[in-house]
Amino acid sequence: MNWDSILAFARGPFFYFALLIFIGGMIYRFVRIVLLGFSSDRVPARGSKLGGVVKTYAKNLLILPFIPWVKGSFSRNPVMYLAGGLFHLSLFVVIFLGTAHMLVWKSLLGFGWPTLALPIVDWLAAVGIVAMLVLFINRLVNPVLKLLTGPAEWLNWGLVFIPMLTGYIMTHHLFFPYQVLFSLHMIAVDLLLIWIPASRISHFMFYFFSRTIHGTEFGKRAVSP
Amino acid sequence: MGERETVYEGLKRQGLSRRGFFQLSSLLAAFLSLPKSDGVRQLGVGEFKPKPSLVRQVRKALESKPRVPVIWLEFQDCAGCTESISRSLSPTLTNLVLNTLDIEYQETLMAAAGVQAEAAKAAAMEKYAGQYLLVVEGSVTSKDGGVYCTIGGKANDALLREAAAGAAAIVAVGNCAAFGGIPAAAPAPTEGVGVDQIITDKPIINLPGCPGIPEVYTNTVVHYLVFGTLPELDELKRPLAFYGVTIHDRCLRRPFYEAGKFADSFDDEGYRKGYCLYKLGCKGPTTYNACASMRWMNGLSFPIQSGHPCLGCSQPNFWDGGGFYQGQSAPLGRPGVAAVGAAAGAGLALGAAAAVANRAQKKPSKSEKGE
Repeated sequence: MNWDSILAFARGPFFYFALLIFIGGMIYRFVRIVLLGFSSDRVPARGSKLGGVVKTYAKNLLILPFIPWVKGSFSRNPVMYLAGGLFHLSLFVVIFLGTAHMLVWKSLLGFGWPTLALPIVDWLAAVGIVAMLVLFINRLVNPVLKLLTGPAEWLNWGLVFIPMLTGYIMTHHLFFPYQVLFSLHMIAVDLLLIWIPASRISHFMFYFFSRTIHGTEFGKRAVSP
Repeated sequence: MGERETVYEGLKRQGLSRRGFFQLSSLLAAFLSLPKSDGVRQLGVGEFKPKPSLVRQVRKALESKPRVPVIWLEFQDCAGCTESISRSLSPTLTNLVLNTLDIEYQETLMAAAGVQAEAAKAAAMEKYAGQYLLVVEGSVTSKDGGVYCTIGGKANDALLREAAAGAAAIVAVGNCAAFGGIPAAAPAPTEGVGVDQIITDKPIINLPGCPGIPEVYTNTVVHYLVFGTLPELDELKRPLAFYGVTIHDRCLRRPFYEAGKFADSFDDEGYRKGYCLYKLGCKGPTTYNACASMRWMNGLSFPIQSGHPCLGCSQPNFWDGGGFYQGQSAPLGRPGVAAVGAAAGAGLALGAAAAVANRAQKKPSKSEKGE
Protein backbone atom coordinates (compact mmCIF):
# COMPACT_ATOMS: atom_id res chain seq x y z
CA MET A 1 0.00 0.00 0.00
CA ASN A 2 1.69 3.19 -1.12
CA TRP A 3 0.39 6.74 -1.38
CA ASP A 4 -0.29 6.37 -5.07
CA SER A 5 -2.73 3.54 -4.46
CA ILE A 6 -4.29 5.40 -1.52
CA LEU A 7 -4.77 8.38 -3.80
CA ALA A 8 -6.28 6.22 -6.52
CA PHE A 9 -8.73 4.83 -3.95
CA ALA A 10 -9.61 8.27 -2.56
CA ARG A 11 -10.12 9.77 -6.02
CA GLY A 12 -11.79 6.67 -7.40
CA PRO A 13 -14.12 4.26 -5.58
CA PHE A 14 -14.22 6.16 -2.28
CA PHE A 15 -15.19 9.41 -3.98
CA TYR A 16 -17.77 7.59 -6.06
CA PHE A 17 -19.29 6.03 -2.94
CA ALA A 18 -19.19 9.30 -0.99
CA LEU A 19 -20.82 11.22 -3.80
CA LEU A 20 -23.72 8.76 -3.97
CA ILE A 21 -24.19 8.93 -0.20
CA PHE A 22 -24.16 12.71 -0.48
CA ILE A 23 -26.76 12.78 -3.24
CA GLY A 24 -29.00 10.22 -1.56
CA GLY A 25 -28.60 11.88 1.83
CA MET A 26 -29.39 15.37 0.62
CA ILE A 27 -32.47 14.14 -1.20
CA TYR A 28 -33.54 12.35 1.96
CA ARG A 29 -33.19 15.61 3.89
CA PHE A 30 -35.00 17.53 1.16
CA VAL A 31 -37.95 15.13 1.16
CA ARG A 32 -38.13 15.23 4.94
CA ILE A 33 -38.29 19.02 4.93
CA VAL A 34 -40.80 19.31 2.10
CA LEU A 35 -43.12 16.68 3.59
CA LEU A 36 -43.25 18.58 6.85
CA GLY A 37 -45.85 20.53 4.93
CA PHE A 38 -46.48 24.19 4.30
CA SER A 39 -48.91 26.21 6.36
CA SER A 40 -51.89 27.18 4.22
CA ASP A 41 -52.14 30.84 3.33
CA ARG A 42 -55.63 31.99 4.31
CA VAL A 43 -55.08 35.73 4.03
CA PRO A 44 -54.90 37.61 0.70
CA ALA A 45 -51.46 39.12 0.16
CA ARG A 46 -51.17 42.89 -0.22
CA GLY A 47 -47.56 42.77 -1.47
CA SER A 48 -45.67 40.58 -3.89
CA LYS A 49 -44.23 37.38 -2.45
CA LEU A 50 -41.76 37.14 -5.32
CA GLY A 51 -40.71 40.73 -4.73
CA GLY A 52 -40.08 39.87 -1.11
CA VAL A 53 -37.86 36.96 -2.10
CA VAL A 54 -35.85 39.06 -4.55
CA LYS A 55 -35.51 41.81 -1.96
CA THR A 56 -34.30 39.56 0.80
CA TYR A 57 -31.62 37.96 -1.36
CA ALA A 58 -30.47 41.29 -2.76
CA LYS A 59 -30.32 42.79 0.71
CA ASN A 60 -28.83 39.93 2.65
CA LEU A 61 -26.50 38.37 0.10
CA LEU A 62 -25.41 41.25 -2.11
CA ILE A 63 -25.64 44.45 -0.05
CA LEU A 64 -25.57 43.99 3.70
CA PRO A 65 -22.52 41.69 3.85
CA PHE A 66 -20.48 44.52 2.35
CA ILE A 67 -21.75 47.21 4.73
CA PRO A 68 -21.85 45.05 7.85
CA TRP A 69 -21.80 47.90 10.40
CA VAL A 70 -25.50 48.56 9.84
CA LYS A 71 -26.32 45.13 11.21
CA GLY A 72 -26.79 44.35 14.85
CA SER A 73 -25.20 40.94 14.50
CA PHE A 74 -22.03 42.65 13.35
CA SER A 75 -21.81 45.23 16.10
CA ARG A 76 -22.60 42.60 18.75
CA ASN A 77 -19.94 40.15 17.52
CA PRO A 78 -17.71 41.63 14.80
CA VAL A 79 -15.06 38.92 14.99
CA MET A 80 -17.48 36.14 14.31
CA TYR A 81 -19.30 38.12 11.64
CA LEU A 82 -16.14 38.99 9.73
CA ALA A 83 -14.43 35.63 10.13
CA GLY A 84 -17.61 33.80 9.19
CA GLY A 85 -18.26 36.04 6.20
CA LEU A 86 -14.72 35.85 4.88
CA PHE A 87 -14.69 32.10 5.38
CA HIS A 88 -17.82 31.71 3.26
CA LEU A 89 -16.51 34.04 0.57
CA SER A 90 -13.22 32.16 0.50
CA LEU A 91 -14.94 28.80 0.30
CA PHE A 92 -17.15 29.94 -2.56
CA VAL A 93 -14.27 31.36 -4.59
CA VAL A 94 -11.98 28.39 -3.98
CA ILE A 95 -14.60 25.75 -4.75
CA PHE A 96 -16.14 27.36 -7.81
CA LEU A 97 -13.50 29.69 -9.23
CA GLY A 98 -10.31 27.73 -8.53
CA THR A 99 -9.07 25.95 -11.65
CA ALA A 100 -8.46 22.59 -10.03
CA HIS A 101 -11.96 22.55 -8.54
CA MET A 102 -13.61 23.75 -11.72
CA LEU A 103 -12.10 20.69 -13.41
CA VAL A 104 -13.85 18.51 -10.81
CA TRP A 105 -17.18 20.15 -11.65
CA LYS A 106 -16.40 19.82 -15.33
CA SER A 107 -15.75 16.11 -14.99
CA LEU A 108 -19.00 15.67 -13.05
CA LEU A 109 -21.29 18.03 -14.96
CA GLY A 110 -19.74 17.92 -18.40
CA PHE A 111 -19.12 21.65 -18.72
CA GLY A 112 -16.69 24.14 -17.27
CA TRP A 113 -16.33 27.88 -16.84
CA PRO A 114 -13.58 30.51 -16.64
CA THR A 115 -11.62 30.62 -13.40
CA LEU A 116 -9.63 33.17 -11.44
CA ALA A 117 -5.84 33.41 -11.47
CA LEU A 118 -4.12 31.30 -8.86
CA PRO A 119 -2.74 34.18 -6.75
CA ILE A 120 -6.27 35.54 -6.14
CA VAL A 121 -7.69 32.14 -5.23
CA ASP A 122 -4.59 31.48 -3.18
CA TRP A 123 -4.91 34.62 -1.10
CA LEU A 124 -8.58 33.98 -0.49
CA ALA A 125 -7.78 30.42 0.54
CA ALA A 126 -5.26 31.77 3.04
CA VAL A 127 -7.91 34.19 4.31
CA GLY A 128 -10.32 31.28 4.69
CA ILE A 129 -7.81 29.24 6.65
CA VAL A 130 -7.07 32.13 9.00
CA ALA A 131 -10.79 32.77 9.39
CA MET A 132 -11.33 29.13 10.33
CA LEU A 133 -8.60 29.35 12.96
CA VAL A 134 -10.25 32.48 14.36
CA LEU A 135 -13.59 30.71 14.47
CA PHE A 136 -11.94 27.76 16.19
CA ILE A 137 -10.52 29.97 18.92
CA ASN A 138 -13.83 31.77 19.15
CA ARG A 139 -15.57 28.49 19.86
CA LEU A 140 -13.01 27.76 22.58
CA VAL A 141 -13.32 31.06 24.40
CA ASN A 142 -16.86 32.31 23.83
CA PRO A 143 -18.91 31.12 26.81
CA VAL A 144 -22.16 30.71 24.87
CA LEU A 145 -20.50 28.94 21.95
CA LYS A 146 -18.72 26.65 24.39
CA LEU A 147 -22.11 25.44 25.58
CA LEU A 148 -23.41 25.00 22.03
CA THR A 149 -20.36 23.21 20.69
CA GLY A 150 -20.33 19.45 20.77
CA PRO A 151 -18.48 16.70 18.90
CA ALA A 152 -20.58 17.29 15.76
CA GLU A 153 -19.43 20.91 15.58
CA TRP A 154 -15.79 19.95 15.97
CA LEU A 155 -16.22 17.32 13.27
CA ASN A 156 -17.78 19.94 10.97
CA TRP A 157 -14.83 22.19 11.59
CA GLY A 158 -12.22 19.48 11.12
CA LEU A 159 -13.66 18.00 7.94
CA VAL A 160 -13.77 21.44 6.34
CA PHE A 161 -10.42 22.58 7.68
CA ILE A 162 -8.38 19.54 6.58
CA PRO A 163 -9.23 19.93 2.87
CA MET A 164 -8.55 23.66 3.04
CA LEU A 165 -5.20 23.23 4.72
CA THR A 166 -4.02 20.28 2.61
CA GLY A 167 -5.22 22.03 -0.54
CA TYR A 168 -3.26 25.13 0.33
CA ILE A 169 -0.05 23.27 1.18
CA MET A 170 -0.45 21.09 -1.90
CA THR A 171 -0.77 24.08 -4.20
CA HIS A 172 2.51 25.39 -2.84
CA HIS A 173 4.25 22.02 -2.85
CA LEU A 174 5.34 22.36 0.74
CA PHE A 175 6.42 19.90 3.46
CA PHE A 176 5.01 16.65 2.06
CA PRO A 177 4.95 14.92 -1.32
CA TYR A 178 2.08 16.08 -3.49
CA GLN A 179 0.32 12.71 -3.59
CA VAL A 180 0.33 12.46 0.23
CA LEU A 181 -1.44 15.81 0.56
CA PHE A 182 -3.70 15.06 -2.38
CA SER A 183 -4.69 11.77 -0.72
CA LEU A 184 -5.43 13.43 2.62
CA HIS A 185 -7.34 16.17 0.79
CA MET A 186 -9.49 13.66 -1.04
CA ILE A 187 -10.07 11.39 1.96
CA ALA A 188 -11.23 14.39 4.02
CA VAL A 189 -13.47 15.56 1.18
CA ASP A 190 -14.96 12.08 0.80
CA LEU A 191 -15.68 11.90 4.53
CA LEU A 192 -17.12 15.41 4.35
CA LEU A 193 -19.45 14.42 1.51
CA ILE A 194 -20.72 11.51 3.58
CA TRP A 195 -21.07 13.67 6.67
CA ILE A 196 -22.75 16.73 5.14
CA PRO A 197 -26.32 15.31 4.87
CA ALA A 198 -26.20 14.36 8.54
CA SER A 199 -24.71 17.64 9.68
CA ARG A 200 -25.47 21.33 9.86
CA ILE A 201 -23.21 21.89 6.88
CA SER A 202 -26.35 20.99 4.93
CA HIS A 203 -27.25 24.65 5.46
CA PHE A 204 -25.52 25.23 2.11
CA MET A 205 -28.87 24.01 0.71
CA PHE A 206 -31.37 24.79 3.47
CA TYR A 207 -30.15 28.37 3.85
CA PHE A 208 -31.83 29.06 0.52
CA PHE A 209 -35.04 27.41 1.73
CA SER A 210 -35.32 29.48 4.86
CA ARG A 211 -34.26 32.65 3.10
CA THR A 212 -36.94 32.09 0.44
CA ILE A 213 -39.65 31.37 3.01
CA HIS A 214 -38.67 34.50 4.93
CA GLY A 215 -38.78 36.48 1.70
CA THR A 216 -42.33 35.39 0.93
CA GLU A 217 -43.43 36.12 4.49
CA PHE A 218 -41.90 39.58 4.41
CA GLY A 219 -43.15 40.28 0.88
CA LYS A 220 -46.82 39.38 1.23
CA ARG A 221 -47.51 42.09 3.81
CA ALA A 222 -50.55 40.37 5.22
CA VAL A 223 -51.80 39.43 8.63
CA SER A 224 -50.50 36.04 9.60
CA PRO A 225 -53.05 33.77 11.22
CA MET B 1 38.23 -11.05 -14.14
CA GLY B 2 41.75 -9.65 -14.39
CA GLU B 3 42.06 -10.37 -18.10
CA ARG B 4 38.88 -8.45 -18.93
CA GLU B 5 39.21 -5.10 -20.62
CA THR B 6 38.61 -2.02 -18.48
CA VAL B 7 36.03 0.52 -19.54
CA TYR B 8 38.76 2.97 -20.55
CA GLU B 9 40.59 0.37 -22.63
CA GLY B 10 37.38 -0.45 -24.40
CA LEU B 11 36.67 3.21 -25.14
CA LYS B 12 40.27 3.77 -26.31
CA ARG B 13 40.02 0.83 -28.63
CA GLN B 14 36.99 2.51 -30.16
CA GLY B 15 38.98 5.66 -30.79
CA LEU B 16 38.11 7.85 -27.80
CA SER B 17 40.90 10.34 -27.08
CA ARG B 18 42.29 10.96 -23.61
CA ARG B 19 40.65 14.40 -23.63
CA GLY B 20 37.35 12.87 -24.68
CA PHE B 21 37.67 10.40 -21.85
CA PHE B 22 38.21 13.21 -19.33
CA GLN B 23 35.17 15.00 -20.65
CA LEU B 24 33.12 11.85 -20.35
CA SER B 25 34.32 11.36 -16.78
CA SER B 26 33.30 14.91 -15.87
CA LEU B 27 29.91 14.46 -17.46
CA LEU B 28 29.28 11.22 -15.62
CA ALA B 29 30.55 12.71 -12.38
CA ALA B 30 28.12 15.56 -12.89
CA PHE B 31 25.23 13.12 -13.10
CA LEU B 32 26.57 11.08 -10.21
CA SER B 33 26.99 14.06 -7.95
CA LEU B 34 23.30 14.84 -8.23
CA PRO B 35 22.09 13.08 -5.10
CA LYS B 36 24.71 14.73 -2.94
CA SER B 37 24.51 18.24 -4.32
CA ASP B 38 20.76 18.09 -4.87
CA GLY B 39 21.62 18.54 -8.54
CA VAL B 40 18.46 18.10 -10.57
CA ARG B 41 16.42 19.42 -7.70
CA GLN B 42 18.19 22.76 -7.68
CA LEU B 43 19.90 23.35 -10.98
CA GLY B 44 19.41 23.17 -14.70
CA VAL B 45 21.47 20.69 -16.70
CA GLY B 46 24.10 23.16 -17.82
CA GLU B 47 24.89 24.21 -14.26
CA PHE B 48 26.22 20.95 -12.84
CA LYS B 49 29.56 21.44 -11.16
CA PRO B 50 30.83 18.13 -9.83
CA LYS B 51 33.58 18.13 -7.25
CA PRO B 52 37.03 17.56 -8.78
CA SER B 53 37.55 14.63 -6.40
CA LEU B 54 34.46 12.94 -7.75
CA VAL B 55 35.63 13.42 -11.34
CA ARG B 56 38.91 11.74 -10.37
CA GLN B 57 37.07 8.91 -8.69
CA VAL B 58 34.92 8.30 -11.76
CA ARG B 59 37.95 8.47 -14.05
CA LYS B 60 39.94 6.02 -11.96
CA ALA B 61 37.03 3.62 -11.76
CA LEU B 62 36.58 3.69 -15.53
CA GLU B 63 40.32 3.21 -16.03
CA SER B 64 40.75 0.36 -13.64
CA LYS B 65 37.50 -1.51 -13.31
CA PRO B 66 36.47 -4.23 -15.72
CA ARG B 67 33.36 -3.84 -17.77
CA VAL B 68 30.07 -4.68 -16.15
CA PRO B 69 28.44 -7.74 -17.69
CA VAL B 70 24.78 -7.10 -18.39
CA ILE B 71 22.04 -9.57 -19.17
CA TRP B 72 18.98 -7.85 -20.56
CA LEU B 73 15.70 -9.70 -20.51
CA GLU B 74 12.56 -8.60 -22.31
CA PHE B 75 9.18 -9.89 -21.24
CA GLN B 76 5.81 -8.23 -21.91
CA ASP B 77 7.34 -5.19 -23.55
CA CYS B 78 7.44 -3.20 -26.76
CA ALA B 79 11.25 -2.82 -26.84
CA GLY B 80 10.62 0.93 -26.57
CA CYS B 81 13.04 1.26 -23.67
CA THR B 82 15.72 -0.49 -25.72
CA GLU B 83 14.99 1.92 -28.54
CA SER B 84 15.20 4.84 -26.13
CA ILE B 85 18.46 3.77 -24.54
CA SER B 86 20.12 2.98 -27.86
CA ARG B 87 19.54 6.68 -28.64
CA SER B 88 21.27 7.86 -25.51
CA LEU B 89 22.50 11.46 -25.02
CA SER B 90 25.87 11.30 -26.71
CA PRO B 91 27.47 8.70 -28.97
CA THR B 92 30.09 8.09 -26.32
CA LEU B 93 27.51 7.28 -23.71
CA THR B 94 25.76 4.98 -26.13
CA ASN B 95 29.07 3.24 -26.71
CA LEU B 96 29.59 3.03 -23.02
CA VAL B 97 26.32 1.26 -22.51
CA LEU B 98 25.93 -0.79 -25.62
CA ASN B 99 29.52 -1.66 -26.51
CA THR B 100 31.77 -1.01 -23.60
CA LEU B 101 29.55 -2.61 -21.06
CA ASP B 102 29.27 -6.27 -21.90
CA ILE B 103 25.70 -6.80 -22.86
CA GLU B 104 25.76 -10.55 -23.03
CA TYR B 105 22.16 -11.05 -24.01
CA GLN B 106 19.72 -8.56 -25.47
CA GLU B 107 17.04 -9.94 -27.69
CA THR B 108 16.45 -6.82 -29.75
CA LEU B 109 20.09 -5.92 -30.36
CA MET B 110 21.96 -9.20 -30.49
CA ALA B 111 22.77 -10.92 -33.75
CA ALA B 112 22.42 -14.41 -32.37
CA ALA B 113 19.07 -16.13 -32.33
CA GLY B 114 17.37 -19.29 -31.19
CA VAL B 115 19.33 -22.03 -29.44
CA GLN B 116 22.67 -20.23 -29.80
CA ALA B 117 21.34 -17.10 -28.10
CA GLU B 118 19.95 -19.09 -25.19
CA ALA B 119 23.23 -20.97 -24.91
CA ALA B 120 25.16 -17.67 -24.84
CA LYS B 121 22.94 -16.43 -22.03
CA ALA B 122 23.42 -19.61 -20.03
CA ALA B 123 27.17 -19.38 -20.52
CA ALA B 124 27.24 -15.72 -19.43
CA MET B 125 25.13 -16.45 -16.37
CA GLU B 126 27.51 -19.18 -15.36
CA LYS B 127 30.69 -17.26 -16.13
CA TYR B 128 29.65 -14.05 -14.34
CA ALA B 129 27.55 -15.59 -11.59
CA GLY B 130 27.03 -13.08 -8.80
CA GLN B 131 28.56 -10.25 -10.84
CA TYR B 132 26.25 -9.36 -13.68
CA LEU B 133 23.57 -6.72 -13.76
CA LEU B 134 20.22 -8.07 -14.77
CA VAL B 135 18.23 -5.53 -16.73
CA VAL B 136 14.54 -6.30 -17.18
CA GLU B 137 12.30 -4.62 -19.70
CA GLY B 138 8.58 -5.38 -19.76
CA SER B 139 6.25 -6.74 -17.13
CA VAL B 140 6.21 -10.29 -15.84
CA THR B 141 3.21 -12.57 -15.89
CA SER B 142 2.80 -15.60 -13.68
CA LYS B 143 -0.84 -16.21 -14.57
CA ASP B 144 -1.58 -19.77 -15.71
CA GLY B 145 2.05 -20.77 -15.18
CA GLY B 146 3.45 -17.84 -17.12
CA VAL B 147 2.12 -19.24 -20.39
CA TYR B 148 1.32 -15.79 -21.82
CA CYS B 149 4.97 -14.86 -22.28
CA THR B 150 7.49 -17.56 -23.11
CA ILE B 151 10.94 -17.39 -24.60
CA GLY B 152 12.59 -20.49 -26.00
CA GLY B 153 9.73 -22.53 -24.57
CA LYS B 154 10.29 -21.29 -21.01
CA ALA B 155 7.82 -19.25 -18.98
CA ASN B 156 8.90 -15.65 -18.37
CA ASP B 157 8.63 -15.76 -14.58
CA ALA B 158 10.83 -18.85 -14.47
CA LEU B 159 13.36 -17.12 -16.76
CA LEU B 160 13.37 -14.11 -14.48
CA ARG B 161 13.92 -16.20 -11.34
CA GLU B 162 16.67 -18.15 -13.06
CA ALA B 163 18.51 -15.02 -14.21
CA ALA B 164 17.91 -13.15 -10.94
CA ALA B 165 19.51 -15.92 -8.90
CA GLY B 166 23.02 -15.06 -10.10
CA ALA B 167 22.54 -11.30 -10.54
CA ALA B 168 24.38 -8.77 -8.43
CA ALA B 169 21.44 -6.40 -8.83
CA ILE B 170 18.38 -5.96 -10.99
CA VAL B 171 17.54 -2.86 -12.96
CA ALA B 172 13.88 -2.67 -13.99
CA VAL B 173 13.77 -0.39 -17.02
CA GLY B 174 10.50 1.25 -18.01
CA ASN B 175 7.13 1.42 -16.35
CA CYS B 176 6.22 -2.18 -17.28
CA ALA B 177 9.22 -3.74 -15.55
CA ALA B 178 8.95 -1.36 -12.61
CA PHE B 179 5.20 -1.28 -11.95
CA GLY B 180 3.53 -3.53 -14.51
CA GLY B 181 2.85 -0.67 -16.94
CA ILE B 182 0.47 -1.22 -19.82
CA PRO B 183 0.14 -5.01 -19.36
CA ALA B 184 -1.02 -4.28 -15.80
CA ALA B 185 -3.69 -1.79 -16.94
CA ALA B 186 -7.33 -2.82 -16.67
CA PRO B 187 -8.53 -5.37 -17.64
CA ALA B 188 -4.98 -6.78 -17.53
CA PRO B 189 -5.70 -10.15 -19.13
CA THR B 190 -2.21 -11.49 -18.33
CA GLU B 191 -2.04 -9.86 -14.88
CA GLY B 192 1.39 -8.44 -15.58
CA VAL B 193 3.38 -7.15 -12.60
CA GLY B 194 6.66 -5.36 -11.94
CA VAL B 195 9.86 -7.25 -11.25
CA ASP B 196 9.79 -6.52 -7.52
CA GLN B 197 6.51 -8.43 -7.20
CA ILE B 198 8.31 -11.63 -8.27
CA ILE B 199 11.86 -11.15 -6.99
CA THR B 200 12.18 -10.07 -3.38
CA ASP B 201 15.67 -11.17 -2.36
CA LYS B 202 17.81 -9.02 -4.68
CA PRO B 203 18.55 -5.31 -4.79
CA ILE B 204 16.18 -3.84 -7.37
CA ILE B 205 16.27 -0.41 -8.89
CA ASN B 206 13.29 0.89 -10.83
CA LEU B 207 13.80 3.26 -13.74
CA PRO B 208 10.20 3.81 -14.82
CA GLY B 209 9.09 5.87 -17.76
CA CYS B 210 7.42 5.08 -21.03
CA PRO B 211 10.10 4.78 -22.18
CA GLY B 212 12.73 5.46 -19.55
CA ILE B 213 15.10 8.39 -20.08
CA PRO B 214 18.30 6.95 -21.58
CA GLU B 215 20.66 9.02 -19.43
CA VAL B 216 18.93 7.80 -16.31
CA TYR B 217 19.77 4.25 -17.29
CA THR B 218 23.34 5.12 -18.29
CA ASN B 219 23.95 6.96 -15.08
CA THR B 220 22.62 4.16 -12.95
CA VAL B 221 24.90 1.63 -14.60
CA VAL B 222 27.88 3.95 -14.23
CA HIS B 223 27.02 4.57 -10.61
CA TYR B 224 27.08 0.84 -10.07
CA LEU B 225 30.37 0.58 -11.94
CA VAL B 226 32.08 3.39 -10.05
CA PHE B 227 30.81 2.84 -6.53
CA GLY B 228 29.75 -0.79 -6.68
CA THR B 229 26.44 0.19 -5.09
CA LEU B 230 23.02 1.31 -6.21
CA PRO B 231 22.19 5.03 -5.97
CA GLU B 232 19.96 6.48 -3.27
CA LEU B 233 16.37 5.38 -3.93
CA ASP B 234 12.90 6.63 -3.06
CA GLU B 235 10.08 4.47 -1.66
CA LEU B 236 9.26 3.20 -5.14
CA LYS B 237 12.92 2.15 -5.61
CA ARG B 238 13.65 4.97 -8.05
CA PRO B 239 16.95 6.90 -7.94
CA LEU B 240 16.31 10.15 -6.08
CA ALA B 241 18.71 11.99 -8.32
CA PHE B 242 16.28 11.66 -11.21
CA TYR B 243 12.97 10.98 -9.52
CA GLY B 244 13.40 13.36 -6.58
CA VAL B 245 11.15 16.16 -7.80
CA THR B 246 8.02 16.38 -9.88
CA ILE B 247 7.77 17.42 -13.51
CA HIS B 248 5.62 20.31 -12.29
CA ASP B 249 8.42 21.58 -10.03
CA ARG B 250 10.80 21.98 -12.94
CA CYS B 251 8.32 22.74 -15.69
CA LEU B 252 9.07 25.63 -17.98
CA ARG B 253 5.32 26.40 -18.13
CA ARG B 254 5.06 26.60 -14.33
CA PRO B 255 4.90 30.43 -14.23
CA PHE B 256 1.72 30.24 -16.32
CA TYR B 257 0.23 27.83 -13.82
CA GLU B 258 1.00 30.25 -11.01
CA ALA B 259 -0.51 33.11 -12.99
CA GLY B 260 -3.66 31.11 -13.79
CA LYS B 261 -2.98 31.18 -17.54
CA PHE B 262 -4.09 27.89 -19.06
CA ALA B 263 -4.65 26.38 -22.46
CA ASP B 264 -8.30 25.27 -22.60
CA SER B 265 -7.99 23.23 -25.76
CA PHE B 266 -5.32 22.10 -28.15
CA ASP B 267 -5.93 24.90 -30.60
CA ASP B 268 -6.96 27.93 -28.59
CA GLU B 269 -5.00 31.11 -28.12
CA GLY B 270 -3.64 30.07 -24.74
CA TYR B 271 -2.24 26.91 -26.28
CA ARG B 272 -0.53 28.84 -29.05
CA LYS B 273 0.96 31.16 -26.45
CA GLY B 274 2.46 28.20 -24.61
CA TYR B 275 0.32 28.46 -21.47
CA CYS B 276 0.09 25.76 -18.81
CA LEU B 277 -1.43 22.43 -19.90
CA TYR B 278 -2.96 21.57 -16.50
CA LYS B 279 -6.52 21.86 -17.79
CA LEU B 280 -5.67 19.57 -20.69
CA GLY B 281 -4.89 16.79 -18.24
CA CYS B 282 -1.22 17.33 -17.40
CA LYS B 283 -0.10 14.90 -14.68
CA GLY B 284 3.06 16.92 -13.93
CA PRO B 285 2.18 17.67 -10.29
CA THR B 286 2.19 14.00 -9.26
CA THR B 287 4.82 12.71 -11.64
CA TYR B 288 8.38 12.23 -10.45
CA ASN B 289 10.86 12.16 -13.30
CA ALA B 290 13.71 14.16 -14.79
CA CYS B 291 12.08 15.06 -18.12
CA ALA B 292 11.59 18.72 -17.23
CA SER B 293 15.19 19.25 -16.11
CA MET B 294 17.23 16.88 -18.30
CA ARG B 295 14.84 16.77 -21.25
CA TRP B 296 15.11 14.41 -24.17
CA MET B 297 17.15 14.24 -27.36
CA ASN B 298 20.27 15.88 -26.01
CA GLY B 299 18.32 18.41 -23.99
CA LEU B 300 16.23 19.48 -26.95
CA SER B 301 12.73 19.18 -25.53
CA PHE B 302 10.29 17.12 -23.51
CA PRO B 303 6.56 16.45 -23.93
CA ILE B 304 5.27 19.55 -22.14
CA GLN B 305 7.71 21.79 -23.97
CA SER B 306 6.52 20.25 -27.23
CA GLY B 307 2.91 21.02 -26.33
CA HIS B 308 1.57 17.80 -24.85
CA PRO B 309 0.48 17.34 -21.23
CA CYS B 310 2.51 14.93 -19.12
CA LEU B 311 0.94 11.47 -19.00
CA GLY B 312 2.62 10.53 -15.73
CA CYS B 313 4.43 7.57 -17.29
CA SER B 314 6.93 7.17 -14.46
CA GLN B 315 4.19 6.60 -11.85
CA PRO B 316 2.48 3.36 -10.86
CA ASN B 317 -0.86 2.68 -12.57
CA PHE B 318 -0.39 5.62 -14.91
CA TRP B 319 -2.51 3.94 -17.54
CA ASP B 320 -5.53 3.70 -15.20
CA GLY B 321 -4.94 6.94 -13.30
CA GLY B 322 -7.71 8.95 -14.96
CA GLY B 323 -8.03 10.06 -18.58
CA PHE B 324 -4.88 11.44 -20.18
CA TYR B 325 -6.77 14.59 -21.15
CA GLN B 326 -8.84 14.88 -17.98
CA GLY B 327 -7.68 17.38 -15.37
CA GLN B 328 -5.53 15.92 -12.65
CA SER B 329 -7.83 17.15 -9.89
CA ALA B 330 -10.90 15.47 -11.38
CA PRO B 331 -12.13 12.27 -9.77
CA LEU B 332 -11.20 9.06 -11.53
CA GLY B 333 -14.77 8.20 -12.41
CA ARG B 334 -18.20 9.70 -12.12
CA PRO B 335 -21.37 7.88 -11.17
CA GLY B 336 -23.61 7.15 -14.13
CA VAL B 337 -27.26 8.18 -14.39
CA ALA B 338 -28.38 4.80 -13.03
CA ALA B 339 -26.22 5.02 -9.90
CA VAL B 340 -27.25 8.62 -9.20
CA GLY B 341 -30.86 7.66 -9.84
CA ALA B 342 -30.61 4.76 -7.44
CA ALA B 343 -29.06 6.94 -4.74
CA ALA B 344 -31.66 9.64 -5.29
CA GLY B 345 -34.45 7.06 -5.29
CA ALA B 346 -33.20 5.56 -2.04
CA GLY B 347 -33.09 9.04 -0.47
CA LEU B 348 -36.57 9.80 -1.75
CA ALA B 349 -38.07 6.55 -0.49
CA LEU B 350 -36.41 6.76 2.92
CA GLY B 351 -37.37 10.42 3.31
CA ALA B 352 -41.00 9.75 2.36
CA ALA B 353 -41.15 6.74 4.68
CA ALA B 354 -39.74 8.77 7.56
CA ALA B 355 -42.20 11.60 6.87
CA VAL B 356 -45.17 9.18 6.81
CA ALA B 357 -43.99 7.62 10.06
CA ASN B 358 -43.73 11.09 11.62
CA ARG B 359 -47.27 12.01 10.55
CA ALA B 360 -48.61 8.77 11.95
CA GLN B 361 -47.05 9.72 15.27
CA LYS B 362 -48.43 13.24 15.10
CA LYS B 363 -52.10 12.26 14.58
CA PRO B 364 -53.01 11.55 18.23
CA SER B 365 -51.75 14.98 19.25
CA LYS B 366 -54.26 16.60 16.85
CA SER B 367 -57.18 14.99 18.64
CA GLU B 368 -55.88 16.37 21.90
CA LYS B 369 -56.10 19.86 20.42
CA GLY B 370 -59.20 20.84 22.37
CA GLU B 371 -57.61 20.40 25.77
